[in-house]
Amino acid sequence: MTTTQETDFLVYDRAVGMTVMEGKGFYYPVDTIAGNDDRLYVISRSKEETVRGIRVTMCDLDGGYYGNFGGYGFGGGQFVWPACGAVDSRGRFFISDERLHRVTAYDPTGNYLFHWGHAGSGEGELDSPSGLAFDSKDNIYVADVYNNRVQKFTAEGEFVSVIGAEGPGAVSLPWGLATDGQDNVYVADFGNDCIKKFSARGDFLARYGGPGRADGQFTKPASVAVDKDGYIYVADWGNERVQVLDADGRFVTKLRGEGTISDWAANFLSINREEAAARATADLEMDIDFVIDDPHEESSHIEKYFWCPSSVRLDSRGYLYVTETNRHRIQVYRRG
Amino acid sequence: MLDANTELIAHLLRRAGFGANRQELASYQSIGYEATVEELLNPREEQRLSEYLIRRFHPELSGMMGPLASGENWLYRMATTNAPLREKMTLFWHGIFATGYNKVIHGKALSDQTRMFRRHATGSFRTLLLELSRDPAMIIWLDNQDNHKDAINENYGRELLELFSMGVGNYTERDIKECARAFTGWTIANREYMELRSQRDSDWPYGRISWHFEFHPEDHDEGEKEFLGERGNFDGEDIIDIICKQPATARFISRHLYSFFVADEPPVPEWPYTPPADQNAIDTLAQAYFEHDYNIGEMLRVLFNSDFFKAEEARYRKVKSPVELVAGVLRLTGEFDRPRYEILERFSQASYMGQILNNPPSVEGWHTGTDWLNSGTLVERINFASKQVGDATKPGIGSMVDRIASEMKESSSPEMLVDACLEEVGALSVDEDTRRVLVDFSARGSRGGDRQHIADLLQMVAATQEFQRA
Repeated sequence: MTTTQETDFLVYDRAVGMTVMEGKGFYYPVDTIAGNDDRLYVISRSKEETVRGIRVTMCDLDGGYYGNFGGYGFGGGQFVWPACGAVDSRGRFFISDERLHRVTAYDPTGNYLFHWGHAGSGEGELDSPSGLAFDSKDNIYVADVYNNRVQKFTAEGEFVSVIGAEGPGAVSLPWGLATDGQDNVYVADFGNDCIKKFSARGDFLARYGGPGRADGQFTKPASVAVDKDGYIYVADWGNERVQVLDADGRFVTKLRGEGTISDWAANFLSINREEAAARATADLEMDIDFVIDDPHEESSHIEKYFWCPSSVRLDSRGYLYVTETNRHRIQVYRRG
Repeated sequence: MLDANTELIAHLLRRAGFGANRQELASYQSIGYEATVEELLNPREEQRLSEYLIRRFHPELSGMMGPLASGENWLYRMATTNAPLREKMTLFWHGIFATGYNKVIHGKALSDQTRMFRRHATGSFRTLLLELSRDPAMIIWLDNQDNHKDAINENYGRELLELFSMGVGNYTERDIKECARAFTGWTIANREYMELRSQRDSDWPYGRISWHFEFHPEDHDEGEKEFLGERGNFDGEDIIDIICKQPATARFISRHLYSFFVADEPPVPEWPYTPPADQNAIDTLAQAYFEHDYNIGEMLRVLFNSDFFKAEEARYRKVKSPVELVAGVLRLTGEFDRPRYEILERFSQASYMGQILNNPPSVEGWHTGTDWLNSGTLVERINFASKQVGDATKPGIGSMVDRIASEMKESSSPEMLVDACLEEVGALSVDEDTRRVLVDFSARGSRGGDRQHIADLLQMVAATQEFQRA
């Protein structure tokens, strides 16, 4: 595994969002999906101690805000532990729920359409569905976390097939999913600290990485995305970074995070001048002699670093969106 | 009926841990009492529910913006770890160095403090006091960020002596001032911004930023100080050295350990006026403190191997704290084999019983023993324990019921069924009155392996006074 890094492969562009429990902002966002018009759907998971905060925020790269949909509950169009999203060729938005064991569909403006799925371990049943990805035929792959497999359904929820359930391609606690132009399937194999690649027919093709912190290694990967050139982007969640591999799995580059003040955050600070003034005197990038060698701990101190990067997604223009759950923002990168 | 050795090890696990089910007890029994003490003091590689999984399913238990997350995260650990003494000692230190969210308003800082307690749980008391003095949550809790060279704030200096190390009557008001002078300049980085955000409970714009200690030499009083009869150009570390070598400190920590592990003592403010229940035990522990360079683990080794700890009359004398009770029940139910939405509800149960982790009522911590019990909290305790332990859909309880059912025959007596249930929940010994009630109930059900009847009897067992005690 080469460790030569392409330093200008990706360039930081901007940050989007800020911590807000309701309305214009995010609250523990876990995934960001670029819709077919590059409108962003940002899924906020919130926390158990409140029914507030949990929603999908519609916005765009330039700070435009188009409202929210969904919310806490057990009814149609509601969710409890929203996890990941995906958009089909018709622009319908799908979201998985790890608590209600189902997948819910909305129209492009957030109107509830239908949901499917129920708890279990049998064929077509789900135990904490998480990552979602559509193929070119509008079949949807679902990371079936505690059943340690990925299942393929029609968009309406009819079971098609299963991959990664056994053999050398067996996955453990799979999280994020992606498909490429050939309908190959990529799995962020959280439990095995690697990325696994399967063909459209479900054959295991390759494994990239393994446990560790070196270049090309992963700790509990959360999400994977593949661009038109075959580059593989990985949210290396446990290492609090993003890594890029080439189409053959060779290390290309890594990002630790360069978060800046977003438009929405700038607006907040312009209103709350006392906090802005105090912030201006603070050194938020200081060298710290950490007691524990732990990237998670580092990220909790250094605000610009990724803190729990749960999702990497690409839009049609090639922008890379890194959703940071604990920083309630999206760091946006573009190819250098 | 249970043999004496099983009962003794069960007693140890109730005190040094959160109780142990029949299978765990069998494992400890196979190595014997002394080896179990060693295992508790020096656990092998810890096994527990993965921190990564907890963070992955509960973002708030990772980002910790609110008041409950640090405690929920800790409860997961107490409920699933195979190194329970470390968590028990972490709880012990939290009770003494009680720091609360209501003033700190930074869950991550409190979680960091808990992790610090865990790292030093059974190590040197000197190291622990030093880390405590540098702990950002403690600095804010007791205002040491306002302790300046030209204007001292005595809060930390006072509590360090009164509540954290020696106790009232062993120092003077002047010692407090000199102590405070030695800790001037001990503060947190970016103090103005961090303090303002804390005061405003501000998560904006990007969630909480962890705190860390910073020493400001320009704000430190370098002058000569006189402290506990010694004179010198002391800083905080020197002060801790002097505190640690005081006999009063040895007695103070010994009495705390005795109260936590052996039998409830009155609250600390009463200590100057009320002698210890067992002065010889305190003297034994104080001797171990000095013989082993203030090492807490060595004191615990002496304590757990002592006659005063093993004595029959020491058993079931302590009322479990709400958190101990909840953690013990969750270990029996085995419910949290994975992160579950219900962790918050289970955590909240302890607050209904009077204890919110990371939010003690004051710097004195919680008053323990029978102070945990009133008509309201007792009902909460019994309802919680009996509901959980009587629920055979929980994996741990289901396994217990299966084991008991497989062992019961048509010829098995009601007494045998009661014994089996008592053994499953951790070799529980009950008094004659309690036993009579349980046997009566047992006799009303069908013989053999009726799962529902077994679950009902387990529910009854969890409602006994002995189950509420350690």
